[in-house]
Amino acid sequence: MASHGLTYEGCNFLRQRLVLSTLSGKRVKIKNIRSKDDEPGLRDFEASFIRLLDKVTNGSTIEINQTGTVLVYQPGLLYGGTVEHDCNPQRSVGYYLEALLMLGPFMKSPLKATLRGVTNDLTDPTVDLLKSTALPVMKKFGIDGEGFDIKVAKRGMAPGGGGEVVFTCPVRKTVRPVQLTDPGKIKRIRGVAYSVRVSPQMGNRIVESARGILNQFLPDIYIYTDHMKGANSGKSPGFGLTLVAETLNGCFLSAEMSSTPQGQGDPILPEDLGRNCAKLLLEEIYRGGCVDSSNQSLALLLMTLGQQDVSKVLLGPLSPYTIEFLRHIRDFFQIMFKIEVQKPLEDERKGGDKVLMTCVGVGYSNISKTLK
Amino acid sequence: SDEEEEQGTLKWKEGLQQKASAAFLRHQEAAPNLRKLVYGSVVEAEDSEEEEEEELGGLFRVNRPQKSKRVQANALDCSHFNPDISHNWDLEEMLNSIRDCFVTGQWEEGQDAA
Repeated sequence: MASHGLTYEGCNFLRQRLVLSTLSGKRVKIKNIRSKDDEPGLRDFEASFIRLLDKVTNGSTIEINQTGTVLVYQPGLLYGGTVEHDCNPQRSVGYYLEALLMLGPFMKSPLKATLRGVTNDLTDPTVDLLKSTALPVMKKFGIDGEGFDIKVAKRGMAPGGGGEVVFTCPVRKTVRPVQLTDPGKIKRIRGVAYSVRVSPQMGNRIVESARGILNQFLPDIYIYTDHMKGANSGKSPGFGLTLVAETLNGCFLSAEMSSTPQGQGDPILPEDLGRNCAKLLLEEIYRGGCVDSSNQSLALLLMTLGQQDVSKVLLGPLSPYTIEFLRHIRDFFQIMFKIEVQKPLEDERKGGDKVLMTCVGVGYSNISKTLK
Repeated sequence: SDEEEEQGTLKWKEGLQQKASAAFLRHQEAAPNLRKLVYGSVVEAEDSEEEEEEELGGLFRVNRPQKSKRVQANALDCSHFNPDISHNWDLEEMLNSIRDCFVTGQWEEGQDAA
């Protein structure tokens, strides 16, 4: 089995499978990709993702059958360097960036990826969210240093896109094990209310309504308004809000909401968007944990790849995506986590059940990193 | 007939306690052992496929693509967590349930800054 790699079915979890395959060096075969669909096979955005993966690696072989329903991926070495990629606008840059965040630290040379496309949409984590939550998570694992950044150079809303994001990531030889069991109390809430190709007043309207809800808990709330103009504003109009709650122990919980893309679905008022987004943040705080729901997989991956020592991370309820990720980690790295549910005490007012994840890292070492 | 009506309306109230305790026990049983849920065998998926084998008049097979495992395998690849149950954050009760997550809430003994 091992020599023939792993076999999966269906297009769901494609990124997880290809990322873990690349990191573990195991060949992966995915069959029955939308085989019963009216339009069978891989979609354009998936092809675009595979092309990006091909750009950051060296010597990968990718075979796709004629209908696109079977994909065989033999990973090469993670190469890194300067990469430019036009992301297919069917999915936002976040879709592609999530995978790059997982691969970035393990490249041969530091990655500088310029991704063009849709920066903010409803489906995927936006670049603003990843910037303010994924990077702090990675810093906990010792992935830090100068030039570790996600920069939104141009904003592009769905469906047109036209945004540009620069992700720079230093390389690490090893990953530090962590003990994140106490998130601490939330000391402040920050956020970005962005708007492009609409009245700059939209941002202020979002901020006001979101503050109205959050001020019941904390006085220290600051939501920046970010209005990009001209060439930096992409091709489609839209607005949205990203909220991040920071705790005393440096954990970040986040929520976000974007306006519906132009010409699709019912338009939303900025006031409603602000209020709903603030409520989403309260929901996320209720779930709690040291890592927010959209970064669970990233944290679990870094725990798996850590030094051969115990890592513990407290999470909120596991998302279906994370559960599947845990199964994939078992397939690719033979690591199973200890999963303990922590029920809140009776008189505690700290939200719902938490899950304590414990594992011993595989002692992954980035052998392709150049020595200096 | 007045009495009858009254009886009718009150019928749902019968055995409320038993119903509640039965529901609680059912819920307890269903409370997932997370490790099993994550690493356990994929019994669930197979079950749903069996259900599919319904036949109509012994001739046609009912095909419910929405339920089958294959469609789930071909669902949208997205990391966003949208749970089925979301709380009503307009209620004071819900707001109170997270008060101590903030520095403005109650502190544990020995941790209080003062």
